[in-house]
Amino acid sequence: MIQRLLPFLTLIVLIVLLAVASPNFLTAVNLSSVVRQTAVINIMSLGMTLVIISGGIDLSVGAILAMGGLMGTMAMQAGLPISAGIAIGIATGLFWGGVNGTLVTRLRINPFIVTLGTLGIVRGLTLIISNGLPVHQVPREFSFLGEGTLLGVPFVLWILVGCAVLTHLVLEHTRLGRYTYAIGSNPEAAVFAGVPVKANITAVYAIAGMLTGLAGMIEASRLMTGQPTAGAGYELQAIAAVVIGGGSLHGGEGSVVGTLIGALIMGLLSNGSDLLGISPYLQQAIIGAVIILAVTVDEVRKRRTA
Amino acid sequence: MLLELQSIRKHFGGVAALRDGNLSVGEGEVHLLLGENGAGKSTLVKIVAGMLERDAGRMLWQGREVFLKSPPQAAGMGIAMVHQESLLAPHLSVAENIFLGREERLPLGWVNRRRAIEQAARLISEHRFPLRAEWRVDRLSPAGKQLVEICRAIQHGSSLLIFDEPTSSLSGAETQEVFRIVAGLRERGMGVIYITHRLEELRAVGDRVTILRDGATVHSGALADVTTDEIIRHMVGREMVSLYRRDPLPPGPELLRVENLGRRKSGLEGISFAIRAGEIVGLAGLVGAGRTELCRAIFGIDPPDAGRILVEGAERRIRSPREAVAAGIALVTEDRQRTGLCLQLPLSHNLTLANVPGVSRGPFLDHAAERRVTAEYVDRLRIRAASHEQPAGRLSGGNQQKIAIARWLFRKARVFLFDEPTRGIDVGAKTEVFDIMNDLARSGAAILMVSSEMPELLQVADRILVMRQGRINGELPGRTTQEEIMRYAALDTERGS
Repeated sequence: MIQRLLPFLTLIVLIVLLAVASPNFLTAVNLSSVVRQTAVINIMSLGMTLVIISGGIDLSVGAILAMGGLMGTMAMQAGLPISAGIAIGIATGLFWGGVNGTLVTRLRINPFIVTLGTLGIVRGLTLIISNGLPVHQVPREFSFLGEGTLLGVPFVLWILVGCAVLTHLVLEHTRLGRYTYAIGSNPEAAVFAGVPVKANITAVYAIAGMLTGLAGMIEASRLMTGQPTAGAGYELQAIAAVVIGGGSLHGGEGSVVGTLIGALIMGLLSNGSDLLGISPYLQQAIIGAVIILAVTVDEVRKRRTA
Repeated sequence: MLLELQSIRKHFGGVAALRDGNLSVGEGEVHLLLGENGAGKSTLVKIVAGMLERDAGRMLWQGREVFLKSPPQAAGMGIAMVHQESLLAPHLSVAENIFLGREERLPLGWVNRRRAIEQAARLISEHRFPLRAEWRVDRLSPAGKQLVEICRAIQHGSSLLIFDEPTSSLSGAETQEVFRIVAGLRERGMGVIYITHRLEELRAVGDRVTILRDGATVHSGALADVTTDEIIRHMVGREMVSLYRRDPLPPGPELLRVENLGRRKSGLEGISFAIRAGEIVGLAGLVGAGRTELCRAIFGIDPPDAGRILVEGAERRIRSPREAVAAGIALVTEDRQRTGLCLQLPLSHNLTLANVPGVSRGPFLDHAAERRVTAEYVDRLRIRAASHEQPAGRLSGGNQQKIAIARWLFRKARVFLFDEPTRGIDVGAKTEVFDIMNDLARSGAAILMVSSEMPELLQVADRILVMRQGRINGELPGRTTQEEIMRYAALDTERGS
């Protein structure tokens, strides 16, 4: 049990250490900037949690994020209302997620390959559509999505909490979630039990795409730009958050709470390094080491109890 | 004595796997190691083979006390193990597998492929194994893979070989082949430890026997001095009703009819039979006869390319397991770890997996209903588990099997395909599985039971279909004999004559 709580304990220790080391850490300004900086990755990693629990992986989310943000901002540039722009961004993500899911289930190709392919396709299309140029003409009120506050709390935190609660509900309290765990744990057993495996996997990728589309709009709002090169490498951060939080790339394991803790650990490491004046180059190395360490600890725990 | 184990103890966490393990094996001796699942047989031999370290007790090898820390160390001393499950690299050749990890050391990690093949060929011909060194392992039958495992174990002059249930995936002629091999090893003066669940095969191989119960050695002695009944008594610690007898039921309406079913890729051809409600029909045959393939075809895993399937009188189009389940068919697979259960997931999730809508309201799960259902079936099938949340992988084989069956009871399936339902479960759990099947039949289900254990078929089945080379070669009454089944299974005869 103690080992199960390890990610959580690590988080607490990290917070305490940072609070002691830097007087600026536990301030409203700093914490809200952590929330804003990490919200995009966190929301993406919620979708990635579903995908990884189902035994899959999605490398295309960074590219989908860029296309979602671009389509949404282009819609606003063309004069559509902000809400419609956001909806278009989310729908773009949903569409590409659906494409991923369909390819994975219909072609029965390894999701790593499928999403490696769609990563290229989506990124390429995004650059073609935008001609490689960012979209700058967005309504000023659009910044509320990424930078606004509601009841004294960053608006993105409300969105993140809402998405997290919904994803948790899906995983623990719906058939979709139950089937997702079963498929990830033993796909053949799930098929033999009559589980609608293909529909379920498609849905999982679609949800991941949708959340990524939303994350893309938040990113665009923070930058006030539809940036066709946005999100490069985000997929790896999202995967890392899931894995640090106890998700298994073999499928069948993972949780929303775990992923959020994983994402927070990464966010705090990077924020803490900034506060302590550690170079961003070293930060990357530290986070890389933490990923390996977290998974090692988790594996040792599993081997011991197996 | 070659090997002597004295008062071996081994704990896993708080659980004592071995409390008092004693075993001695001499040269040129085949020593049977018996016990129910969980009695500690595997733990004991893993200690011998260096895969586990003992907590207490003494292990003497050729008279000297040894502490083994790894399988290579054990192998270096001449102790090798033939594994129950194939631990082979499927894409490599027989020769490459035999020498895997023990290739001749050449500069630059170079491998002399031709020499390896020659050496493997020599080893194979020495023992007259039906194998070729160049064959790829994934094309071999389970028996062939077993032979590769044996070659691996004996290639570098072992003096003690451990067989962990070598015949559990084999049948008939292949089992005889293993016996012949074991006898050959004995003649060369090797010691053999042989674990088996099949009591009927004991006498054909063993010289001496050691029986474990609850982690302790309860009997050790010459095989000739104990009767099979005594052995069973030692294993279970109580008198067992050695024969399961089932009351035949008046058959009801026809639930499953298969007409002229064929599937070229699976080698199935012209298969026709029917099962009525209340019937248990046995499906016998040698390994490779197509019994599992038939189950897979009916269940829509490998949909047939010819013939018809009728359920409760109506033709059903079954192209996927999902459609089979919708038609009221259930398949309890041969390999519950690989194709039956989600081992990491709680018992309750596994139990309701085929009927999640039965514990949901709309798209949402009704956890209270799931708890009720789980409690009901855990109680009804006497599933022993610490809690409903216990991962299925932590349960014993018998309890895992009960969950795999309970899943379909809760799905209210009417046609049950049981593929080797007693494989790898202990004597007590076997009887319980038969009880469940009997109750199912009584409640109006139609049951097809594949089994390689002919005594089981004779005990449980009302009729027995015998398959041979993808066809049904004969149908026998339930009260037939093993010899008769074997005749239909092994002989190329029209209707077994």
